[in-house]
Amino acid sequence: MNLNSEAIKKNDVEIAINNVSVVFKDNQGNDVKALDNIDFDIHKGEFISLLGPSGCGKTTLLRTIADLLEPTSGNVRVSNMTPKEIRLMQKFGIVFQNPVLFEWRTVKKNIELPLEIMGYSKKDRSDRADEMLEMVGLTKFADHYPQQLSGGMQQRVGIARAFGIRPEILLMDEPFSALDEFTKEKLHLDLLKIWEKTNKTIVFVTHNIQEAVFLSTRICVLSPHPGRLSAVVDADLPYPRTIDMRDTPHFGELVSKVRNSFEGGSL
Amino acid sequence: MIKKRKSLWRRLKENKVAQGVSSVLLPILFGVLILALWQGQVLHKIFNTDTNTLPLPSRICHIIIDNIPAFAQNALYTLLVAVIGLVVGSIIGYLIAVFAATFQKWGKGGLTIVGAFNAIPIVALAPVMTNWTKDISNDPNIRSMFAKTLVVMIVCIASMSINAFRGLTELKPFALDLMKSYAAKKSTVFFKLRLPNSVPYVFTALRVSVPISIISAVVSEYFAEYIVGVGREIRENIVLGQYPTAWAYIVVACLIGLVMYGVLMLVESIVLKNRRIK
Repeated sequence: MNLNSEAIKKNDVEIAINNVSVVFKDNQGNDVKALDNIDFDIHKGEFISLLGPSGCGKTTLLRTIADLLEPTSGNVRVSNMTPKEIRLMQKFGIVFQNPVLFEWRTVKKNIELPLEIMGYSKKDRSDRADEMLEMVGLTKFADHYPQQLSGGMQQRVGIARAFGIRPEILLMDEPFSALDEFTKEKLHLDLLKIWEKTNKTIVFVTHNIQEAVFLSTRICVLSPHPGRLSAVVDADLPYPRTIDMRDTPHFGELVSKVRNSFEGGSL
Repeated sequence: MIKKRKSLWRRLKENKVAQGVSSVLLPILFGVLILALWQGQVLHKIFNTDTNTLPLPSRICHIIIDNIPAFAQNALYTLLVAVIGLVVGSIIGYLIAVFAATFQKWGKGGLTIVGAFNAIPIVALAPVMTNWTKDISNDPNIRSMFAKTLVVMIVCIASMSINAFRGLTELKPFALDLMKSYAAKKSTVFFKLRLPNSVPYVFTALRVSVPISIISAVVSEYFAEYIVGVGREIRENIVLGQYPTAWAYIVVACLIGLVMYGVLMLVESIVLKNRRIK
């Protein structure tokens, strides 16, 4: 199946971000605009990257989608419902900057955690966890404890846990930023494989231009102070993507295109 | 060819067997050395004292062995006071921590007050408790047990509540966000995240509380109405000038402390086994 951005139906809006602004108070009590009037749509099955330097509000935007943060003005609609309704229906899978595994649970039990909370039967939990472990290639480590695994393996457990609940939408907040290049490259390919297989909508926060271009169907370029949407770039490389695509001229062009679309000085 | 050799010290430090030897064997050797100097009356020469004030280890052992029933009974009372006070105090301390973690706005201030209890010296607390509990029963033994246990309890509450509060609230970054994203209820967050997260902190508290519980039990016995317990025997025998017997009870008090600490270490190594493996 070819999941080019053109193949995704434009009218199939999954996440609508309508004029979202978020204002924080800083230490001195002054208003700080983290997000300024963000407005765009994410379509069903897309792999969207929110790309920008620190301070551009990309994580803030992700948190408003996940209902971990209320926008100061504007609103987010997910499948025509509020993010809160979607969250309470347990349709979000989230992967954070660190894997957030519980060290008192084995790898498998960590993957079962959300399923326990959702009231799955013991057998269903176990079956689903086994399936997820196989997907991320950690079947052999089911009974290990997270602290026995490398950082890359831990993050894979986090991804398995997020996919285990069969979420409608997967939200990933710089999930690979703490990993070395080799592990990161491998996880990129793993993630794309899982995405192509499951056809979920993924919103992926990153500050790495190459990463965004390599993974995404579209890239939302955010600029800082205040956080605003500078451009939306189609990353029109064919799927399935391979490592050697990074060396093609077109990849280089996309990277420069993204880099040039930042506002507020060169990067 | 020049081959850089690590220094002997460096190699010893990295060697696991050597580490085991140095952490177990050296303290034992030190203990044996002290005992030898003591038994050989070298200590008496150093401190310029006699074998009545500082009786020989062999004499102390004889006294204990010859009076096992009396020593066992006194030790049992002290142990009861220490263990009941420790258990009840730790449970109350944990419940305070749960309360403080649930209502964090007031809880933090409340914990500061509980922490202040830690500053009250046991010597001051013990007579007060004896006075407060004098109407609780007609049996002086029961009254005294109650007063002593109360002292141990109060001392143990503070360290448990402060440590457990940290265990219930110092969560991994994003752990609460993760639970929220699963639409987890507060009770679910408590049982699946906060409670298990607090377990190592409970042991940190107990490592402090266990020795303190013995000390407070012994000290509170000094002031208790009813004459029983290891602490009371130490005092009575010193008053009577029977230093060897007093020393024998001091040894028993040490043994109770060591056994309780040993049991704690054993339980901790079992409970936290999976968290410690790397």
